[in-house]
Amino acid sequence: MSVAPSSEAIAGHLRAALVAIGAADEATLKAELASIVQWQEQPLMAGLAKLSQQLGEALRELPVADAATAELPDACARLDHVVAMTEQATHRTLDLVEESQRLMEKLQAPDADREALLKSLRGNLSDMALAQSYQDLTGQIIRKVAGIVRGVHDQLGALGLPPGGLPQRRPEDPLAASGPSLAGIDRPAASQRDADDLLSDLGF
Amino acid sequence: MRILIVDDFSTMRRIVKNLLADLGFTNTAEAEDGGAAIAMLRQGGFDFVVTDWNMPGVNGIELLRMIRADEKLKTLPVLMVTAEAKREQIIEAAQAGVNGYIIKPFTAATLQEKLNKIFERLGSAV
Repeated sequence: MSVAPSSEAIAGHLRAALVAIGAADEATLKAELASIVQWQEQPLMAGLAKLSQQLGEALRELPVADAATAELPDACARLDHVVAMTEQATHRTLDLVEESQRLMEKLQAPDADREALLKSLRGNLSDMALAQSYQDLTGQIIRKVAGIVRGVHDQLGALGLPPGGLPQRRPEDPLAASGPSLAGIDRPAASQRDADDLLSDLGF
Repeated sequence: MRILIVDDFSTMRRIVKNLLADLGFTNTAEAEDGGAAIAMLRQGGFDFVVTDWNMPGVNGIELLRMIRADEKLKTLPVLMVTAEAKREQIIEAAQAGVNGYIIKPFTAATLQEKLNKIFERLGSAV
């Protein structure tokens, strides 16, 4: 039995099958029909082989996406660090504000050492300015993370994922807490005045 | 007047605490989410709640509903201070029984105005 039988060979199988029918030779008939069926399945087998090959090629391309997605946990750690840095800087600034408020109260005392108190206040103002340098550092980290996210998006796009371009956004639950809304991205947020008017309309 | 400040960010709790102190409310306590807050409130001794909405665990709107559903706490005034600013959310908070709604970022003047309004309505001016 040849792997890719020619039409002549198939004609031979058909003739042999007819002879087997005439002779009521069931075993030969089954064998000849099996050969014909196998020939018929050849295009399907060839199609499956091609599909399998294409899938293998696609899978070999996937590590490209892996390279981009591998940076995602890293990106999360960087953002966590930004949260910690901004928190630390804000507390440092609030420490200085509170200490300065105490110094100002002391300034009002009749026997205050004005020169020393003013020197401390100047120092606090300078330290407060310095504490704002977190913005440079966190800004750099956030830009880096934005680059990673863009990279992942581009790699997925190059792989044809998601199909048909950008997927539909998930329908938004208007009551789910979602943090500050961004102009141009989120739905326009209510201002304090809008909120006041709305609550006033509701009888507040 | 003892006030509970509920926010998951320690910096915002501190800022609210300082602003309240400037307005003369120096007796404050802090909770980092609704779950911790309701436990503290149920122990008693609080007269006012200032809460964020978006917090992990029990969020602000859930805390508000828990307060309104609690026989001992249901009349406790609740001021929501939040970045959540969708119409639906403001209406939801109103229907859940919020006493005031401040959208972040906010000013000291807004906080004072809303507190005054709440106290006026409760019949005890600041």
